[in-house]
Amino acid sequence: MLILLWFLVDASWPFWHDFGISQLWASEWYPYESLYGLLPAIIGTAWAMLIAMFIAVPCGLAAAIVSSEILPITWQSWMRLGMEMLAGIPSVVYGLIGLWVLLPWLQNTFDLLTGHNLLAAGMILSLMILPTMMVMSQDALRLIPIEQREAAMNMGMNWSQRLLRVLLPQAWPGIRSGILLGLGRSLGETMAVMLVVGSLDRVPQPIYNILEPAQTLTSRIGREMGEAAFGSMHFSALMACGLVLAVAAICLSLLAQRKSKGFVL
Amino acid sequence: MIKESIFLMAAMCVSISAQAVERISAVGSTTVLPVMAQAAEAYHAMHPDLTVTVSGGGSGVGIASIIQGTAQLGMASRETSPEEQAKLDGHVDNIVIASDAVAVVVSKAVYESGIQQLSIAQIAAIYRGKIRNWKELGGLDKRILVIDKEASRGTRHVFAKAVLGSSHARAEGASIISGSNNEEQMIVSRSDNAIGMLSNAWLNDEVRGVDVLVDGKAIAPTIEHVRDGSYPIARGLHIFLPHNATAETKDFVQFLLSKQGQAIVKHVGYLPVR
Repeated sequence: MLILLWFLVDASWPFWHDFGISQLWASEWYPYESLYGLLPAIIGTAWAMLIAMFIAVPCGLAAAIVSSEILPITWQSWMRLGMEMLAGIPSVVYGLIGLWVLLPWLQNTFDLLTGHNLLAAGMILSLMILPTMMVMSQDALRLIPIEQREAAMNMGMNWSQRLLRVLLPQAWPGIRSGILLGLGRSLGETMAVMLVVGSLDRVPQPIYNILEPAQTLTSRIGREMGEAAFGSMHFSALMACGLVLAVAAICLSLLAQRKSKGFVL
Repeated sequence: MIKESIFLMAAMCVSISAQAVERISAVGSTTVLPVMAQAAEAYHAMHPDLTVTVSGGGSGVGIASIIQGTAQLGMASRETSPEEQAKLDGHVDNIVIASDAVAVVVSKAVYESGIQQLSIAQIAAIYRGKIRNWKELGGLDKRILVIDKEASRGTRHVFAKAVLGSSHARAEGASIISGSNNEEQMIVSRSDNAIGMLSNAWLNDEVRGVDVLVDGKAIAPTIEHVRDGSYPIARGLHIFLPHNATAETKDFVQFLLSKQGQAIVKHVGYLPVR
């Protein structure tokens, strides 16, 4: 881990040295004019992640509750099998599904110039992290001892009270790990996002406009790394994008590692 | 007896390694790629000892791979920049195997609504964001989906140089960035209001090339107009062959320039050089 970080810092050092940390909030990325503003891609990454979590967390949690608390055991295992299969599909396949199904749908529904946008990226990502979210939450719910459920029932709690006061608080550490793992995946996912996001290096106008093409850090690296000559400033700037991603991912996993007590995030 | 058999085995090993299939990789422009792929197949049928793995990435990637030595053959659909050429000089041959037209393409619906010819100034205005609706050009009242390409793409260099004045010019009007020719072709064909740039070999019923107005005369993006030099956005398609390449690789490049290789060039839709 440290070697990786050291490598990223080392490779991106010329960039930080020449342009400084202010490039993080500069908004113009034109490598041929030596403009390396990271802001459009950072905003794009953040939006894609937020949209993905906004869809995947409630859906994944609901699926976990339904399958582990309501459905009979045979259905549970089928559902789990389905989710595990979803988790195993290569990301490029999700990207292609996005291209052929999601983009035309978005384009027609919202009457857009093109379906390539942040919403599409977020929706594809949510599909990809849904299985993680669901499987982790389901495991956490299943680990709750039967005695606790019986005790709650004996106290005369109805179903929703049991869910909200006993089951979810007990399962929270597992659910939280699911959320953080999902965040990590949505942060780092490249191929599927690259195919649907539009790769336009521009800060969304206005900033909450998620229906315009945009860029994420990963898709920028994926699109431009092949061309950047090793050791050039462009290469170094792309490494800086990688470093930003790595630092964000490390923060997430530190959060995931931290021992939690109750509803502390 | 033992000595003999060892000798025999050694000899067999040598002969096996001599017959071993040589694998080389060709990387770069997705415009040159179809020619390379078909030529590799035809060549492999005659010389099973050479397998050429062809992959895209764009002209910039092709040139960078040759400079870094990660590919044995490079493909590019543009001239090298002076910096790139300086790194290639002396140890890499730059060979033109074909030429083609960079067509200004529009979606079928746009073409049928009457946009069938555009001047360079009009195309530039679209890419600079000055014209944003097809209505301003006499078409339907629809916003223009302006497709730009990744900066590393050869087609982008040639187009931007001819239309915007410099190969790295900004295109403020761009609505979306595409990568390979296939990706761009797909976006154009699935839209009703797109404009983009593609090699003439990628035109089809859904992806129409408009005529470019030169001195009041409409020039269609065809091979004939590349041959007579009248089409303004034409270019050579390049292969990069390092001097230290194996004899088989060099022979393969000769094949590209041979009658048979040039027939493939013509078949794909480009103008042969010989």
